[in-house]
Amino acid sequence: MKHVSGEAGQTTSVMTRTVAKLLFLPTLVVAAAILVKGYAQPGDGFSAGVVASLGVVLQYLAFGRKEAEKLPIVRYAGEIAFFGLLGALLLAAAPVLLGDPVFTHYPPPGSDVIYLGTLELITAVLFDVQVFLLVFGFAVGSVRAIARTIADEEEYQGPDATDARTGDLAKEEGR
Amino acid sequence: MLAGVFRPRLAASVGAAFAVLTFLATVFLWYRGGGDAVDVAWAPAWDLRFAVALDGFATMYVLLASGIGFLVLVYSSRYLPLHLEYEDRPESEMTRFYGFMLLFMGSMVGLAMAQDLILLFVFWDLTAVASYYLIGYDRHDPDARASALMALLVTGITAVLLLIGALLLYAAYGTFSVPELAERVKPGVLLSVAGFLTAVAAFAKSAQVPFHFWLPRAMAAPTPVSAYLHSAAMVAAGVLLLGRVYPILQESQFLMDTLIVTGLLSIFVGGIWALTRDILKQLLAYSTISQYGYVVFMYGLGGKYAAAGASFYVIAHAMVKCALFLTAGAVTEATGEDKLGRIGGLRKPLPLLAAASGVASAGLAALPLTIGFFKDELFFEAALEKGPLFAGFAVAGAVLTFAYVWHFWGGLFLGEPRDETSKPPATFVWSVAVLAGIVLLGGFFVEPFARLAEAAGAVSYGAPTSIEPAYRLDLRTENLMAAGTFLLGTLVVVSRPLWDWVAPTASWLGNVAGPGRLYEEAIKGLNRFSDYVHRLEVRDLRSRVAAILLPAGVLVGAGILLTPTIQAYRVGEVGAQDLPLLLALVAVAVAALATTFSRRHVTLALVLSSAGFVLALLYAFLGAPDVALVAVLVETVLTLLLLGASKLIPYELLRRQAELPLENRRRTVFFSVVAGAFAFAVVWGTLSQPAAQDILPEEYVRLAPEAHAKDVVTAILADFRGLDTLGEITVVALVLLGVATFLNRGRLP
Repeated sequence: MKHVSGEAGQTTSVMTRTVAKLLFLPTLVVAAAILVKGYAQPGDGFSAGVVASLGVVLQYLAFGRKEAEKLPIVRYAGEIAFFGLLGALLLAAAPVLLGDPVFTHYPPPGSDVIYLGTLELITAVLFDVQVFLLVFGFAVGSVRAIARTIADEEEYQGPDATDARTGDLAKEEGR
Repeated sequence: MLAGVFRPRLAASVGAAFAVLTFLATVFLWYRGGGDAVDVAWAPAWDLRFAVALDGFATMYVLLASGIGFLVLVYSSRYLPLHLEYEDRPESEMTRFYGFMLLFMGSMVGLAMAQDLILLFVFWDLTAVASYYLIGYDRHDPDARASALMALLVTGITAVLLLIGALLLYAAYGTFSVPELAERVKPGVLLSVAGFLTAVAAFAKSAQVPFHFWLPRAMAAPTPVSAYLHSAAMVAAGVLLLGRVYPILQESQFLMDTLIVTGLLSIFVGGIWALTRDILKQLLAYSTISQYGYVVFMYGLGGKYAAAGASFYVIAHAMVKCALFLTAGAVTEATGEDKLGRIGGLRKPLPLLAAASGVASAGLAALPLTIGFFKDELFFEAALEKGPLFAGFAVAGAVLTFAYVWHFWGGLFLGEPRDETSKPPATFVWSVAVLAGIVLLGGFFVEPFARLAEAAGAVSYGAPTSIEPAYRLDLRTENLMAAGTFLLGTLVVVSRPLWDWVAPTASWLGNVAGPGRLYEEAIKGLNRFSDYVHRLEVRDLRSRVAAILLPAGVLVGAGILLTPTIQAYRVGEVGAQDLPLLLALVAVAVAALATTFSRRHVTLALVLSSAGFVLALLYAFLGAPDVALVAVLVETVLTLLLLGASKLIPYELLRRQAELPLENRRRTVFFSVVAGAFAFAVVWGTLSQPAAQDILPEEYVRLAPEAHAKDVVTAILADFRGLDTLGEITVVALVLLGVATFLNRGRLP
C-alpha cells in the first residue's frame, strides 16, 4: 500500500465523498441541538464542540486538506476559539460591573425565565456556547495545523519522504 | 495600540495623550479633595475586593507614573523609529512597544491605587510581565532575552513571597484590605514573618541588595524603557509596597532594622560600583540601586521624616534619574558610543544638553538651587534624629553619590572632545530640558512637591506629617553635613588615581561570589537536573510507565497485607436486572485482554477503542447519559488520533515492528500483573465501602431547579463549578496556542 499524501480525494470513493458532503450540515445541526438542549436534557457545550469538529474532520478525511481548508469555519478556527474564550471571560467578569460576585448567572434563582420553545435564555447557556466555540476552534485548529505541517513536510522532502523516514528510523533501530 | 495597528507612528501620540489625561485627571481629583474610591466585592466568599482608592499616597505615584510616562513616550516617539531602523526591524514593532508601555503604566496606576493585598499582588505581577516584554524588546538579542528572564524570575519568585505574606495576615486577621489590617495588627512573630516576606518582595523589585543583580543586566533594554522602568516606575513599585504596608511594618522593630541594614548595604554597594562603571547605563543602574537604598533606609528609620521624606526622595529621584537616562540615550545617539571612556568634551557640540543634564546631575548630587538639595536635607535630618553614627553613614553615602555623579557628568561633558559628534534629535534634548526645568523649579518652589510628599507620607505613617524643606542659612547640622559632603566629595573626585584600584577588585569579588553568580549557578544547576531526569525517564515508554506502576502496586500491596482490611472487601449479590451490566463488563475485560495479544498497531487501536465504547455503554446502563455521551465522543476522537498517527508512520516500519518478537516478555508480564492486581484491589476496596457522606452531589441535585436546569450535570459545568470550567477552557486555549506555535516552528501563526 503506497503512503499517500493529503490529497485523499484521489483514493476515497465516490460514496465516501457524497456521504461526507451530505453529512456535514446535519452534523453541525446535531451539534447545535446538543448545545441548546443541554440544560433540559443530556448535552453540553463540550460534546457539541466535539461533534461539530468531528463533522469537519470528516471533510478533511473525505476531501483532503486543500478542499477542507476552503470552508470558512476551518480558516478562522483559531479566531473562533479565542472569541469563545473572550466571551467566556467577559461573561465571568460582567457581573462585577453590576455589583455581584464574579460569574453570577442571570436570571437569579427564583425569577422567571424566558423560554424560546424549550431553550431557556439564561447566561449559563451563553457560557455553554462559548465553551462550544472554544472546543470546536481548538479541535479544528489543531487538525488544520497538523495537516499543514504534514503537507509542508512532504512538499519539502518530496515523494521519497516515506523511504527517507524509513531509512532514518531503521538506522535508529539497528543501533 | 489600536491606533498603532493602522498607522504605527500614531501609537506614540495616542499613548502620550492617555498619559497626559491620566496626569491631569489625577491632579484634578486631588484638588477636589482626593479620597475617591471604588470598592467592589468581586468574590465575597473569599473576602476579595476590587478596592482602589485615590488617597495621597496613590496620587503621588500615579502622578509620577503618568507624568514621567508622558515625557518618556514623547522621547520614544523619536527614539523608537531610529532604533528600529538601526536594527532593520519593521515599523509595526512600534505598536508592541507602546502597547506594553501603556500596559505597564496602567498596572502602575492600579498598583498605586490598590487597597487590597491580593489586588496589589495581581498588579505587581502584571508589572513584572509587562517589564519582561519591554526589557526583552530586542527579541533577537539573546542578552536582552536572558536579562528579561532574570528580571522576571527574580521579581516573580519574590512576588510569591508577597502572596504568602498576604495570606498569613489574612489567616490571622481575616481581611486583605490594607486600611483594616493597619488597625488590627499587633506586634508578634506572625507580623514579623509576614512583614519580612513582603519586605523581601519589595527589595527584589527595587533592586536592593542582595536582589540587585538583575537591574544592571536589565540595561539591555532600549533607553526609554530604562528611563521609565528603572528610574521611576518598576523599581518605584518596590518602595510603593513598603509605603503602602508601612502601618503594618512599623509595628515590628525587627523589620525596621532589616530596612535600615538593607538600605545601607544598597547605598554603599550601589555607590561603590557606580564609581567604577564605564558603560553609561550601568552606572545609572547602580546609582538607582544606591538611591533606592536611601529610600529604604529612610523608611527603616521610622518617625515622621521617614514616611514623608522617603516619598519626597522618590519624587525627586524619579525626575532626576529619568533625565539622566534620557541624556545617556541622547549621548549614545549623538556619538554612537555608550562607554564613558570613549566619550568626552561634549559641552561644545551639545551645549543645551550639557546644561540640562548638568542641572539634573546637580539634582542627584544634592546641590543647592535644585530639588535635590531638599531631598538630601530631609535625609540628613532623618539620619540625625537616629544618631550620630547614622549621620556619618548618611554623609558617606552622599559623598559617594557626589563622586559618581561628577564622574558621569564630567566624563561626558568636560574634557577634550573625542571623535566627531552628530546632533541628536531635538526631542531628546527637549525632554531632558523639561525634566531639568522641573528639577530647577523644585529648587525654588518646593511647596507643591512637599505637600504631595506629605500627603503620601500621611497615608504611610497613619497620621499627618509635615516636612518643611527650606533654605536655612544658618549653621544647623544638616547644612554642615551638606557642606561636608560637597567637600569630601570633591576630595574623592580629585583623588581618583589613589583609589582607582578598589573598584575593579570589588566588582571582581562581586562577580565571583555575589548573588548574581548564585542566580546563574542555580539556573545552570536546574537545567542540568532537568536534563538528567529527562534522560532517565524518556529512554523507553514502557519503562517509564512501569516505573510508576510497579512501586504503586507494591506499596498498595504492602498496605493491604499489613493492615487488617480483609473485612472491607464485600461481594454483593447479582440480580437479574444486572445481567446486561455483567455482559458489558465481561466484554470490556475481553477487549482489555485482547490488547495484550494484538501486535499490529491498527488492531491495537481498534481494540482499545472498543473497550472504551463498551465502557460508555456501561455508563448509559448506570443512568449517566451525559457521561456516556462524553465518553463516546472522547473515544471517537482518540481512536481517530491513534489511527491517524499510525497512518503517519511509514507502513514498512509498522509492519516490521509488528513482526518483532516481544523482548523481555517475562518482565512485561510481571509488571502488567502487578499493575492489574493493584488496580483491582483498589477499586474493589473503594466500591465495597462507599464514602459515608456524599452531601455535595445531593446539594447540587437539590439546587438544580433553582438554577433553571433540569440536567444537573450541565448545571454543574456551567453554573455551580463554572469557574472550574472557565479555568479548563483557558488551558485548552493555551494548548491550542502551543500546538500551533510548535508546529509553525516557534513563530506565532
